[in-house]
Amino acid sequence: MQIQVKCSCGAENCREWVVVELQGTVELNPSCSQTHLQNLQIGQLCRLSSSSQESYTFTVGYHELTGSRVTLKKPLLVLKKVKGFMDVDESDDNKGDLPSSKVELDVIGIIRHKILFKTRPKALISSKLIQEHVAVLWFAHVNARKKEGWL
Amino acid sequence: MEKSLRIKGAESVLNLEPNSSIAIGYHALFGSHDDLMLLEIDEKLLPDILHERVALRGQPDEDSVLCTPSKTYAIKFVGNSNSPFLIPPSGQFPLCENPQDFDGEVHGFAPVIKVAPGNMELVEKWTFMEDVEKNKARLYSWDDLVGRVQASDEELRNGLWALSAVEIDGFWRIVDEKYMDMILRMLLHNSVLNDWSLDALQEDDVVSVLVSDGFPEKLASHCLHVYGSKVDGDVGRSCVWRLDESRRIPGGMQISFDMLEGEVLTEKLGVETWVYSFSVSSLPLTPAERFNMLFRERSKWEWKDLQPYIRDLKVPGLSSEGLLLKYTRRSQPTLDADPPLEFQISLWNGRLVPTNQDAKIPFSMAGKFPMPFTSA
Repeated sequence: MQIQVKCSCGAENCREWVVVELQGTVELNPSCSQTHLQNLQIGQLCRLSSSSQESYTFTVGYHELTGSRVTLKKPLLVLKKVKGFMDVDESDDNKGDLPSSKVELDVIGIIRHKILFKTRPKALISSKLIQEHVAVLWFAHVNARKKEGWL
Repeated sequence: MEKSLRIKGAESVLNLEPNSSIAIGYHALFGSHDDLMLLEIDEKLLPDILHERVALRGQPDEDSVLCTPSKTYAIKFVGNSNSPFLIPPSGQFPLCENPQDFDGEVHGFAPVIKVAPGNMELVEKWTFMEDVEKNKARLYSWDDLVGRVQASDEELRNGLWALSAVEIDGFWRIVDEKYMDMILRMLLHNSVLNDWSLDALQEDDVVSVLVSDGFPEKLASHCLHVYGSKVDGDVGRSCVWRLDESRRIPGGMQISFDMLEGEVLTEKLGVETWVYSFSVSSLPLTPAERFNMLFRERSKWEWKDLQPYIRDLKVPGLSSEGLLLKYTRRSQPTLDADPPLEFQISLWNGRLVPTNQDAKIPFSMAGKFPMPFTSA
C-alpha cells in the first residue's frame, strides 16, 4: 500500500513552526492545585540585547535558563496523519494493522529554527525557603542525569 | 489590560525583538497528538515533498519506506531525551478564548501544542528488485507494483526494464524468452529481406512487417526496446532504432563460460587469459590413455579443469574418485602459493609409480614421454 504525502499549505508558503528545546523536563510543581496542563504558562522567554548571537533566557519557576537560537542543519517537517486510524508508521514500530481506508500524511508546517537551552539552570533567589527547595530538586535532577551519562 | 495580550504562535517567537519577552505556555489543545510527526529531511528533497511527489510505501508487515520520484529512503525514528516544545504558528490550532494565568506584562503568548518525543529521519536505501520477480502467479498493474515494491518510480521503471517487462492492457508482464527470441529472429530475417540496416531500423516499418508476420504490435515494438536502443534524430515521426550489440544475443540463450567445459582450456599469461581448444571428444576413451593424454597436455590439473575431461569415463567398479586414486596423485600445496585441489600423474604403462615428492618435477618419467604441450 501507499501513503501519499500531501502538502495542503501549498508548495511555496509552508508555515514555519518553532521549537523551544530544554535539556531536561518541565514538571508541575507538586504544590500546584492545577491538574491540567492546558493553558498553563510554562515560563517567560526573553531575547537579550546582546548583539552578535541571538541569546535568550527562559525563566521557568525559580529557574533561569540561558540559550540561543539554532538554525537546523536539516529542516523538520510537521506531518499530520489525515483520515487517520492510529498506528500507521508510528515511531519505530511500523507493524500496526493498517485499516483498509486511505491514509494520507499532510505537511502542515516546517521547522527551521529552534531555541535551544542546554545549560544548567540558574536559581533565581527570592526567598530562602524556596531556594532550598529548588536546589534539592535540581540536584536530584542532576544526579539522575549523571547516571545516564549526560553531565 | 488583559485584552492587550495578543495570542500569537511561532512567528512571535521567531520575530521576538531584542529586550522583549513572550510567555510560553501549554496550548488549550496541548496533548500527545500522536497524529503529528516530525520528519527530518534534506533541503534538496523539500521541493519533491512540497510538490506532493513523495509517498510512503510498504506492506503492513514491512518497515515502510519513503519514495521520491527517483530514490528510496528507509525511515528511522530517533528519540530525543530533551523536551522539544512544539509551537505552531498562530491560527493553525483553535485557541480557547480565555487563557488563564497569563502575565499581563508580556507582549504575547506562544502556545505549545506538543512535546515531541523525537523525530523521523531518512536513510538512503538500495532497492532490490527481487520483489518484482516473486509471485508470478498473478498480474500486476503499475499501481499494484507501486503499492507493493518498496522502490521509487524511477527505480521501479529501471527494474522492470532490466527484466525486459512490458505493459500489456494495463498489466506488466515478462515475455517468454523463447518468444522474444522468435521475434528477434524474424526481425533479423526481415532486415535481410528488406535490406534494412541494423543500425537504423525504422520503428514503423519494422513493427508493421512483424505485425504482418503475425506478431502483436505491442510485442513487436517491445522487441526493439529489448534488443535495441533509440537513435537520436528521428526521421519524421517514426523512431529509429539500432540493434544493440550487447543485447543481440537472443533472449533464449543464456551464455556462460561453463558451456565450454570440456571444449576449451584457459591459460593465464600475466594479466591475460588465453583460451585454446582442447576438446574431450578428441581424447581416447580408455582411462589409462585418457589420463596419459591429459597429463601430456598439462603436468598438473586443478580439479575444476580436470573434471569435464574425465566425467564421461566409466569403468565398472570404479568411481571417479577411484580413477583419480588409480591414475593420479594429489600434490601437496606449496608454501608460497596455496593451490586448490591439484592432481599430478605418475604413470608407467598404466602402473602407478611413486614419484619423488620432494623434487618439484611433475613428471617422474620426463625422459620417456614428450614434454608437456604447454611448455612448447
